[in-house]
Amino acid sequence: MHSIYIKDLKKSYGNQKVLDGVDLVVEEGEFYALMGPNGSGKSTLSSIMASVTGFDSGTLEICGKKPEQARDVIAYIPQENFSVPQLSGRENLLYFARILGNRGANAKVLINRMLDKVGLTEDADKQFSRYSGGMKKRLELATALFPGVRVLILDEPTTGLDPAARRDFFALLTNIKHDQTSIFLITHLGTDAEAASRVGLIHKGKIVAEGTPAALRAQYAPEEAITIETPSLNSGCESILRGFSDGQKVARLQNGYRIYAHDGGHVLPEVVKALNQTGVTVNRTEVAKPTLEDVFFKLTEHPMQEAQVQ
Amino acid sequence: MTQVFGTYAKTIRCFLRIRAIAIFTILLPIFLLLITSATFSKSVSASDLPLAKGVLTFAMVAFSVMMAGILNLAGSISRDRETGLLTKLKSMPIKPWRDFLGRLMGTTLLSLVAAVLIIAVGLAFGARFSGTITNDLEVIGFLLLAIISAAGIGLIIGSYTKLVMATFLTALAVSLVTAFISGIFIQYEVLPTFLQGFSRFYPISSATSSSVYLLLGQTAAGYDPITVVQVVATVLISVGLLAVGITIYSKQGWKRD
Repeated sequence: MHSIYIKDLKKSYGNQKVLDGVDLVVEEGEFYALMGPNGSGKSTLSSIMASVTGFDSGTLEICGKKPEQARDVIAYIPQENFSVPQLSGRENLLYFARILGNRGANAKVLINRMLDKVGLTEDADKQFSRYSGGMKKRLELATALFPGVRVLILDEPTTGLDPAARRDFFALLTNIKHDQTSIFLITHLGTDAEAASRVGLIHKGKIVAEGTPAALRAQYAPEEAITIETPSLNSGCESILRGFSDGQKVARLQNGYRIYAHDGGHVLPEVVKALNQTGVTVNRTEVAKPTLEDVFFKLTEHPMQEAQVQ
Repeated sequence: MTQVFGTYAKTIRCFLRIRAIAIFTILLPIFLLLITSATFSKSVSASDLPLAKGVLTFAMVAFSVMMAGILNLAGSISRDRETGLLTKLKSMPIKPWRDFLGRLMGTTLLSLVAAVLIIAVGLAFGARFSGTITNDLEVIGFLLLAIISAAGIGLIIGSYTKLVMATFLTALAVSLVTAFISGIFIQYEVLPTFLQGFSRFYPISSATSSSVYLLLGQTAAGYDPITVVQVVATVLISVGLLAVGITIYSKQGWKRD
């Protein structure tokens, strides 16, 4: 049985199509990441799966049931914190345990085990409002450890976390995951999506590509990515770079550009020379393997980050 | 029952830890009781003073019930919406009425504790009540009717207002305006005729008048609220307000986007 089965799912707000025929299957125990820029419909899809939002047409099943009948097997971690700020970490978990029907001494034993698992035993009695961003996310992730949870839906869980806290979060996620638990991660960060066994790219309400991170890179961005940091962000500079980039694709970043070439190390000196000849200053360069953001850009010619504009 | 008790425990903990709740539900009514009692001490004859203070005490109990049921309950709903808890709850296997029942139990406990404290302060500062144990039990019954009416209004406000500040201001305005126009803060006799009608059918004021009538007599209440028609109306309107509140909370407060 599939953990998540979605067929031709559509959702509009007024005249605006948010999901335009999404097809998606997540198998039991799979870690699936759905990646897309802001406004691509990914958060809407996660809230539909959690039965927080309704949909217009199509089929959606969670563990073979309609989403509103599958609430007992879903742990939904929305983008914003949801715990009660005035309660301690332990009290918050106790509250959620009771909502899920756990009671008495069993609930307390369960919560102690959960706190231990997410590394919050020492801070269990501190008020949630006094937790750091990373601690808040870890506590909320603990709600996925209640018995019976089969599908964990995470909507941009690392938003606002520093790189160290983000690494800790994914290490913890891998650590707590049971074989039968499926993870559905929503993100706009390629580094987060890399943790998944399969990645789907969503653009304008449709899944445009799916596969393992390595397969997506191999299929859609087999070249190397050359990053050129420069203060000269203008059409003249872009036009020079276009001549060096495979498929003439130039991604504009906040502080420079990214182009794609099969032999990056060989092409880079020529690029710098061409730019210098027209008086463009180059502050820093880098040749690296393409990221999943590059895959998305090459597929859609649409930047993943708001800061990244073509 | 586990879900209801979990919500009740959460509600009580929040009530205990948010200072503004204690201030508005307990300290403000007690402060107003002391201030108004001191004011009346100079304008009312010594023989009438215990009666006047008794009326004021029940006015402040009613105000406290409004603060707990209208302001705090509505505030707790919009606070949970703003912090994202309501979104999380919508994804969990809990029915809205169970969540509401837990909140109502918490609100009821808070209202009863506040009422006991206000009555104790009233007695300490010279209020006197007379009545049988049956009267006392009837007063508790009317207090519960006032609580469920206030909760019904609180549910409606909490379901429609999105931001905590908007909820707070709306609930405060509704509480203060209805307290004045229904005769909770103003003597029944001085109200215009159409507001006297409102006073008799606004369940919080009619329940308060009934309590005052039972413990202080008709002069203090301003009319006889313990008629069959009046009591049935108070019960039906209280239950009706609660039913409307629960329906709106279930449909609007837990509506899927």
